[in-house]
Amino acid sequence: MTAQPEALPLPEQTALEVGYIRLTDSAPLIMAASLGLYEKYGLDVTLRREVSWANLRDKVVVGALDAAQMLAPLPLTTALGLGGLRANMVTGLVLSLNGNAITLARGIAEEVFEGSVLDDAAASAQRFGDWLRQSEPSRSITLASAHGFSCHSIQLRLWLRAGGLDPDRDLRIIVLPPEQMMDSLARGVIDGYCVGEPWNSVAVQHGIGEVVATGYGVWNNLAEKVLGVTEQWHQQHPATHLRLRMALMEACQWLADEANCEHAVKVLSETLALPERQLAPSLTGRMQFRREGQIQPQPYFHVFGRFQAGFPWRSTANDILEHCAGILGRPLAEEDRAAVVQQTYRTDLYRDAARRLGMVLPAVDNKPTNEHREVWQLAPGLEMGPDVRLGPHDSDPR
Amino acid sequence: MHAIIHQKSLAFRQELMSESTSDNNALRVMVLDDQFERVAAVETSLIALGFNVVSVLSSAQGLLHQIGEQRPDVILIDLDSPDRDVLESLAIVNAHNPTPIVMFSGSDDASFIREAIDAGVTAYQGQGLDPDRVKPIIELAMSQFRNFEALRQELAATRSELEDHKTVERAKAALSERHSIGRDEAHRLMQKLSMDRNQRLPDIARTVLAALETGGGIA
Repeated sequence: MTAQPEALPLPEQTALEVGYIRLTDSAPLIMAASLGLYEKYGLDVTLRREVSWANLRDKVVVGALDAAQMLAPLPLTTALGLGGLRANMVTGLVLSLNGNAITLARGIAEEVFEGSVLDDAAASAQRFGDWLRQSEPSRSITLASAHGFSCHSIQLRLWLRAGGLDPDRDLRIIVLPPEQMMDSLARGVIDGYCVGEPWNSVAVQHGIGEVVATGYGVWNNLAEKVLGVTEQWHQQHPATHLRLRMALMEACQWLADEANCEHAVKVLSETLALPERQLAPSLTGRMQFRREGQIQPQPYFHVFGRFQAGFPWRSTANDILEHCAGILGRPLAEEDRAAVVQQTYRTDLYRDAARRLGMVLPAVDNKPTNEHREVWQLAPGLEMGPDVRLGPHDSDPR
Repeated sequence: MHAIIHQKSLAFRQELMSESTSDNNALRVMVLDDQFERVAAVETSLIALGFNVVSVLSSAQGLLHQIGEQRPDVILIDLDSPDRDVLESLAIVNAHNPTPIVMFSGSDDASFIREAIDAGVTAYQGQGLDPDRVKPIIELAMSQFRNFEALRQELAATRSELEDHKTVERAKAALSERHSIGRDEAHRLMQKLSMDRNQRLPDIARTVLAALETGGGIA
């Protein structure tokens, strides 16, 4: 990528505060700082670690933060006012795909899988569903998700449905902060969870839990984290926003190179104050699903910068909102949904930055879901990842 | 600054007291904050105004269980609590959660919410509850949070003053010992340096101490 920051419009603001959460996939924001990419684009970025998505959203909405790493659904649900403060939001960059996993308490995983490791989300879902249905006396199961409207909830519900379970009736799903999940699992408060890394690998390494499905396995290459700002902030700072996206896109490209993984592990370990052994498995794509288990090659556990990962597909926004309606238990008005998708997932903003970086660009705003099991070409030079999704899902007739 | 805030909160309290307190009695308030003194202050003032404080939790261990048991109308929570995402999940109605709880957003009163967030307060309320009934509770928490912040800053300032004083005394003692001069003489010497170099006396004292420790003198 060849960028000439001096040819860009001058930033309206150079000192920025950008929020993130203590997760492995905050790597693009952290590496952009470590690699000096913010400076390259004339920005002085202070990264602020926050402890909840609600907090990130509220601080961005009231302007206490300029921008933040957000769950892919968050700008959409904030624009719709689902559950918290309402504000028009914008994202012009997806920071990462995948990155979550489903972990079950070791005791339950042993009962369900009897020591075998299933690197196949559909098969593990089926086994878990059968186990729960056959449990005598019937078991009351509580699973945790990191946020109500999140890819974690979407993946957990898809996985349960793939096992023939009704996520609203056959068990209970609660929300817990990621950093409390392992402790709750160890104390038996919950039986499993869907969370981002490193909180699955940490449970595996402590022998408390076993990974039974990856987010990738449930839905190949679903957008996970995005760069979110308010529409108002974007309108007032279009050049600053452009420079910020370009710095982060370069960081994502850097992370896409396997040779840089070790370096990223070191930097993240220092910044997040987490041991390297907890960050390395998912970042290097060499996961361990149970403590005594073999290393599982998971090259797509996190996807940064590959497969047009940065592109804010409107079809993805649509898919996400459809699943949010499933979580909410009621449909969203079609015209609201369409308007929010158009306003929030800004393909034009991505294209502007990507063009300046000399990247090949998708000419369309939508991509298919559940049609490709292998890497495929959208157009010459436009490599796309697999897009398989476990079925059935919330909106299917039952 | 502290005194002003306190007076304001008193005036505010009287204003509230003069309004009907019978309404307030009905509202059940839960407070969630891991700063023990602050949570105690919020609780005390809520009770003084006749609100029904059902639970004060320092951390959210068993938060969902507590909410199910206590059925609060209003939940006050520290902005920076990791448990806010847990509370927000209660906006989703399902078989396990029949009564939704939503974030207080007033009647699109953006400046009020901004103020509350600046003070570090967020609030969640039962869906359908009149926001005007919830607002005074948030205002009260805001004034307590600000009080607490002012106290904290005051305490930090006092600590650093005390620290400065100790450093100057230590430098005086070290200097008088090294150069066999009186303490007053040492003090005058440092004052002169302070004026010459246009630096605060405690900063000069730190320079002196560092120089003496490494065995050098002060030029």
